[in-house]
Amino acid sequence: MEVTQCQLDALREIGNIGSGHAATALSTLLQRRIDMSVPEVWAVPFEQITAIVGQLDTPQAVVYVKVEGAAPGKAVFFFPVESAGVVVQALFGTSEERDLFSDEMAQSALKEVGNILVSSFLIALTEFSGIPLQASVPALSVDMIGALLDAIFLEEGTLDDTVLFIDTQLSGLPKIEGQFIFLPDEGSLEKLLGAMGL
Amino acid sequence: MSGIITVGMADYKTAKSPDLLMTAGLGSCIGICVYDQALKLGGMAHIMLPSSTGSQGGNPMKYADTALELMLRQILDMGASQSRLKAKIAGGAQMFSFPGKTPVLKIGDRNAEAVEQELKKHRIPLLVADVGGSFGRTIHFDVATGELRIRTINHGEKVV
Repeated sequence: MEVTQCQLDALREIGNIGSGHAATALSTLLQRRIDMSVPEVWAVPFEQITAIVGQLDTPQAVVYVKVEGAAPGKAVFFFPVESAGVVVQALFGTSEERDLFSDEMAQSALKEVGNILVSSFLIALTEFSGIPLQASVPALSVDMIGALLDAIFLEEGTLDDTVLFIDTQLSGLPKIEGQFIFLPDEGSLEKLLGAMGL
Repeated sequence: MSGIITVGMADYKTAKSPDLLMTAGLGSCIGICVYDQALKLGGMAHIMLPSSTGSQGGNPMKYADTALELMLRQILDMGASQSRLKAKIAGGAQMFSFPGKTPVLKIGDRNAEAVEQELKKHRIPLLVADVGGSFGRTIHFDVATGELRIRTINHGEKVV
């Protein structure tokens, strides 16, 4: 579908509200100040995702949640391994280093963080649009960011020439940075925009 | 001086020795390396989906069938002999699993199957297929030796 400037603005607003709630949730959870960038709306060929995530083989912790309901989509929260480590330490209240690749406690903590972030995003989006949306059980993988994103974007075995998604950067001190992506499924965008009278 | 030629997603590149070909962060995507060792030249494609059938225009290098076709044409134009061509592939992983849900048709497996079939169609022997698993791969390919170096984050590194 062709996206007009007005619709892009509406999407940015969705991103703003949703990510604002997500950042607040993260801040409450970690007891730290979390800042959020102004969300960006991207409509680009998937191949250009390097512009957004940088080096494709940088290891990152990725929490992937499917958005279910009348306007389904995908929500992805990812942070560099070091940041993920800091988040886990903050949650457990220790400075003990945990191996994110194998430590199940650390992994389930990260899933829970992703779950809370995505749920707060969806609650905001549901309030804003009136369309009820729920989050699936989160899946977590710690691996090359390019490999994880290609698996998420290509999961259904199709890929539009341009993918449209909302991207927000979250950061907090010390050493926490993360990124949140919301990717509406085909048709969901129209529903969300329609609900807002656009 | 040898250089490293980087192949992006949904793209292919060709190279002559001593240059190396590289693509980073393969998940369900597949890196296809085809080379003529006698002439020390070859190419690498980073494909994302099995088949261009049913797609409307767009970038042909996204798909196993069309990307391989385009790359082969260029490799042959460089003077390679069809009968000497050999292939090695890597990727096709299943990166996520949701509890209780088994995807019927995993895209990584479908990609691997499609690439193998396309290579067969073009009568190119497939020497190595390092596919599947649930981890990402970054690959370097040396067209002179046919060595494929596969690096992972947490599953070691190997040369095949």
